Amino acid sequence: MKPLRLLWFTLGVLCLFSPVARAEDHPAINPEDLKMTADPVAPGASAIILYRQVDRDDRQDATHEMNFVRIKILKEEGRKYADVEIPYDKGSSTNIVNIQARTIHRDGSVSEFTSKPFDKSVVKARSLRYMAKTFTLPDVQVGSVIEYSYTLILPDGALYDSHWILSDELFTRDAKFSLKPYSSPYSGVRVRWSWHRLPPGTAEPQAGKDNVIRLEAQNIPAFQTEDYMPPENELKSRVDFTYTSDPEMDSAKYWKNRDKEFNGAVESFAGKRKAMESAVAEIVSPNDGPEVKLQKIYERVQKMRNLSYEQSKTLQEEKREKQKDNSNVEDVWKHGYGYGRELNWLFFALVKAAGFDAHVVFASDRSRYFFDPAYLDAQKLNTDLVIVKLNDADIFCDPGAEFTPFGLLMWSETAIQGLQVDNEGGAWLKTMTPKSSASRTINKAELTLSDTGDLEGKLSVTFTGLKAMELRTDERNEDEADRKKTLEDAVKADVPTSSEVELTNKPDWTNSSTPLVAEFKFKVEQWASPAGRKLMLPLGLFSAGERKLFEHQERIHPIYFHYPSEQDDDIVVTLPTGWHAVSLPKEVSLDQQVIVYSMKAEDNKSSLRIRRSLSIDVLYMLQKYYPALRNFFQNVRTTDEEQVLLQPASTTASN
Amino acid sequence: MKSRSCYSQPARQPVTDREFVSVVLAALVCVIACEARAHGGDAPRWMHAAVDSPLPAHDEQTNAVLLYSETDVSVISIDKIRTVERRVYRILRPEGRDYGTVLVTFRSPGEKVNNIHGWCIPAQGKDYEVKDKEAIEASLPKVEGSELISDVRAKILGIPAPDPGNVVGYEYELEENPLVLQESWVFQHQVPVQESHYSLLLPPGWEYKAGFLNYPEVQPVHSGDNSWNWVVRDIKGIRHEEDMPPVRGVEGRMIVNLFPPGGPGNKGFSNWSAMGAWYSALTNGRRDLSPEIKQKVSQLTSPTATPIEKMRAIASFLQHDIRYVAIELGIGGYQPHPATEVFSHRYGDCKDKATLMSAMLHEAGVDSYYVVINSERGSIVPQMPADSGGFDHVILAIQLPQGASLNGLGPVIKHPKLGSLLFFDPTDELTPFGQISGALQANYGLLVTPDGGELTEIPQQPSTMNSVRRTGKLTLDTQGNLTGDIEEVRLGDRAWRQRWELRTVTNNNDRIKPIENILAGSLSNFGIVKASVLNLTQFDQPFGYNYSFQASSYAKNAGSMLLVRPRVIGVKAQAIMETKDPRQYSIEFEGPVLDTDTFEITLPQGYVVDDVPPAVDADFGFASYHSKTEVKGNVLAYSRSFEIKELSVPVSRAQDLKKFYRIIASDERSTAILKPIN
Repeated sequence: MKPLRLLWFTLGVLCLFSPVARAEDHPAINPEDLKMTADPVAPGASAIILYRQVDRDDRQDATHEMNFVRIKILKEEGRKYADVEIPYDKGSSTNIVNIQARTIHRDGSVSEFTSKPFDKSVVKARSLRYMAKTFTLPDVQVGSVIEYSYTLILPDGALYDSHWILSDELFTRDAKFSLKPYSSPYSGVRVRWSWHRLPPGTAEPQAGKDNVIRLEAQNIPAFQTEDYMPPENELKSRVDFTYTSDPEMDSAKYWKNRDKEFNGAVESFAGKRKAMESAVAEIVSPNDGPEVKLQKIYERVQKMRNLSYEQSKTLQEEKREKQKDNSNVEDVWKHGYGYGRELNWLFFALVKAAGFDAHVVFASDRSRYFFDPAYLDAQKLNTDLVIVKLNDADIFCDPGAEFTPFGLLMWSETAIQGLQVDNEGGAWLKTMTPKSSASRTINKAELTLSDTGDLEGKLSVTFTGLKAMELRTDERNEDEADRKKTLEDAVKADVPTSSEVELTNKPDWTNSSTPLVAEFKFKVEQWASPAGRKLMLPLGLFSAGERKLFEHQERIHPIYFHYPSEQDDDIVVTLPTGWHAVSLPKEVSLDQQVIVYSMKAEDNKSSLRIRRSLSIDVLYMLQKYYPALRNFFQNVRTTDEEQVLLQPASTTASN
Repeated sequence: MKSRSCYSQPARQPVTDREFVSVVLAALVCVIACEARAHGGDAPRWMHAAVDSPLPAHDEQTNAVLLYSETDVSVISIDKIRTVERRVYRILRPEGRDYGTVLVTFRSPGEKVNNIHGWCIPAQGKDYEVKDKEAIEASLPKVEGSELISDVRAKILGIPAPDPGNVVGYEYELEENPLVLQESWVFQHQVPVQESHYSLLLPPGWEYKAGFLNYPEVQPVHSGDNSWNWVVRDIKGIRHEEDMPPVRGVEGRMIVNLFPPGGPGNKGFSNWSAMGAWYSALTNGRRDLSPEIKQKVSQLTSPTATPIEKMRAIASFLQHDIRYVAIELGIGGYQPHPATEVFSHRYGDCKDKATLMSAMLHEAGVDSYYVVINSERGSIVPQMPADSGGFDHVILAIQLPQGASLNGLGPVIKHPKLGSLLFFDPTDELTPFGQISGALQANYGLLVTPDGGELTEIPQQPSTMNSVRRTGKLTLDTQGNLTGDIEEVRLGDRAWRQRWELRTVTNNNDRIKPIENILAGSLSNFGIVKASVLNLTQFDQPFGYNYSFQASSYAKNAGSMLLVRPRVIGVKAQAIMETKDPRQYSIEFEGPVLDTDTFEITLPQGYVVDDVPPAVDADFGFASYHSKTEVKGNVLAYSRSFEIKELSVPVSRAQDLKKFYRIIASDERSTAILKPIN
């Protein structure tokens, strides 16, 4: 650090310790808050945040952020919030200073935190040092108010995006945020900000005349997690700030600029026409039709070594491999390997060379958030794929995603917006949404029932589409023993009771173009239960997945499925000699348009045939539809529990 | 985690401390990969020598085998012990890659890793080498219920190419200033071991005493002055089984106590009695009272209260007003903070809480004694040598006055010198005074008395003190819909669990979820009409749920008949014994249990019972299950009891337990048949 900058930095830090530089004054404690025993807006809460304040200043050399939080303890469980750990990255010259904390008792008396916070070295290595300031407040009881403040010092000369995450695991009654953004007439860097799900009645964050951006919010609900919910980032109240060197605020112009940048990057890497034409000649034959050509190119690229899916290696291993970097698609082709994006761009170059109309698409996968181009944040375009025109249809391809069958995308890339780059401003498009029939689990079983209720026989399970892809991807670096266990466990998890499962074939784990077929020896003891001299055989043999689905009456968040899928069961049960079905449950069909279920049992005299199907063709469902969804699955479970009543011939005679 | 661990020392075991690895390394794997830039360098001779060793017995599920290990302990002085550790693994499966990560835990300050090296001998190509500067250092992450602040750290080194077929190895030197003059050699691990060596070098005049656990005693070879070597070979791996005893209770290891000339002073012990004296010295003065504590005792206990009432009041204060916070630095892993500090801060860990409670009891005229214990039953067994590392928790034994009524007090023993002692865990905030959690029952703890210490068994409470008593009055209609009311009364750990679940609920709407979970375990289609919780925070009273529900299509149609499952809710059957591999270890229950269910289902008009499931009477000694279904007028009455009587089922009776659970599963699914009257 140069002496002058060091001086500024030092002065900045010293200022932080002086009274005038403390966080913008926070309000005094309301005596009513000391007396309160519960907050009607957050019934049942173990603690609530009475007040939170975050003031960030990016304007000085000593960039810093002051934090203050005041928490009311309402139950014994809430006392855990008196244990505080504040992480920081010392390796990047950030620091936590000026920690102050105290406990205010119901009677207004105060216990100050006077100890020195413990400076914990979380991770220390050659290139990094993550630390945490840790402390706990004294004499915290139910009814106490605890408060603490600290200042985060950010590294000199660096600019970090900042985020106000309003949603906390505790309900927040009042919160104030401010940002004094960095600005310079010389650098052209400016800040953009966007907000998401602000609490009702909250004014949008705006820059004041003093160029400080402020936000005040009240009654921010505690954040809770649920099964089948969208990514947390989509559900939390938040404001995101991004520093950018592109001052453009007009959306169309901003993305036109990005299109130009992206297109330049693609052309620079993929612009090897001659080399690609000769490569295409090695892959396809002149007589191949367009679809065959396209599939051959896809399969060829996908079979290349995909570095993105390999075990992480140490630098030493990488060095020893003498693996050369790829500068362009010709390198990728020659070397026979590449990372996912490099393989996609090779595919793009090859299909262009084969005469297809194709474009690279930059997109934002939906595993962590749902992208909105209005936010003007190109960093969120974290994935890419290729769109190819085939017989007037758009085919989305991502051969860089290992084991993705031709014509499909990995789930996080389906139904998302992407920027198709063309150097003409680009175009926003929506990627495909596969049907449930594209990703199936098909259980076919030929089983024999004993007169003691045991089921035994052969089971074949076929996984298609994204179901197969998931399995193949998860198991790509595992051995046969692990894969066998994974498949056997998958079957066991589908059966509502204990079962014995033994894999008998060798499934194809490498080929994305074929379904994954697993065959098993299968046995369930006492599947049919006795009732006097009769046996009762439940229908839902592979129904455990739905057993506890959506069991709670209340729902806070929307319902989110990763991808449409389907399960089809076709089970033939040979009855014990002399036994027959006395009664069969009625055929059931439940059709909610996007979710469909059917169950049918047929009496074939000496055997039964049970067919069950459940397809889910929806990705996102608003919370208001939850009761209907729950009711649907309750009916599914009820039907799965229906039983065939069986009895031996002698019983019939006696009746 | 039911009991909090708050008496500890760092595990002196590299790599095999899988829990630590899983917590810390998951977050650090990328860091290690980037940091391990390393250099070319041949693996040492001792490692190459192990490469061609025959593999110990293993199967296809074995991730790796430990070909060679060597632990060389050099005692320099009472304040300095240097240990060199060497290991060589052959990786057999992709999941064995974890063995390419070296993890050494130590306390800082006080201990240091002088050097650490790792190597890989690949199946093909040159050896890899990584050195100290590639290692990273990490602290325990903050996990709720564990230490908030601790000086335990870990040195972590990633070895390149830990792939199947390759051999990885490492060597490190650890220098410690021991808090206790005791060493432990663990030679049995998750993976099979081909050969393991241990050497001990003592200064002149020093002596040692060694004892083996879970393995026959091995005689050392005396080599030179004050140096001894032990070797074991072909040790089978410990594969995890559900509900098995704690690993500490089954692993083969040797405990070595060290004795300098003139005795170990306050750093060592040769038996449980001496260990008790050591702990007594460590806690000396910690229970001194301040005027504020005396005043508090006076506030809590009226002069006219009985001793038991005084104990109860002080116990409640410790459970609910002293927050659990563990700050363990240096000797603080063993030694409690002074009672005065704990009282003024209103927080502390298990030994701090026990200390303050003991001090307050003393002020109230009641004597009490530390009991150092492990929160997992089976970690400490009576036949083992004194082991300071075997404990992770501290509770109290409270001396009851002569003639005190023992009514309602479960864990009481009659001590020959101290009289009746009641065990109590002030860290456990939800188990009322007079009871103790299942994990501590039939468990061995070190009772620390003025005369020293003795290993004492905490009594097992009657199964009636840990139970769910569920009764239901229900009505079935002709459509098969079931409606009615359920009352549940819960005691002991059964109550603890529900209170804990509700305690962590963050809003009132979620308070119904535990009931929904109970119903969803047995009913496919239900709605809760109303529900209430009884005695959620009245810990000395039975916990209860009262709820009403309706279940659509509960009874199934079969022609003109209705099929009804008399066991309406509650699942006792378990699948833990339904495994392919034969059981290796005993099955441990958390505590004794006696649960009962009674359901009375009023039948729909126009139907009579055609057939009911047979009664079940299964008594295997360690557990029993009885059920019966009767017809009482127009009521189908089902009742059952499920009792765990013994807390451990030996391997020889594993098949009986399997049979026991299958009998229950069958009963839980069995059906009564109703037929129309005409």
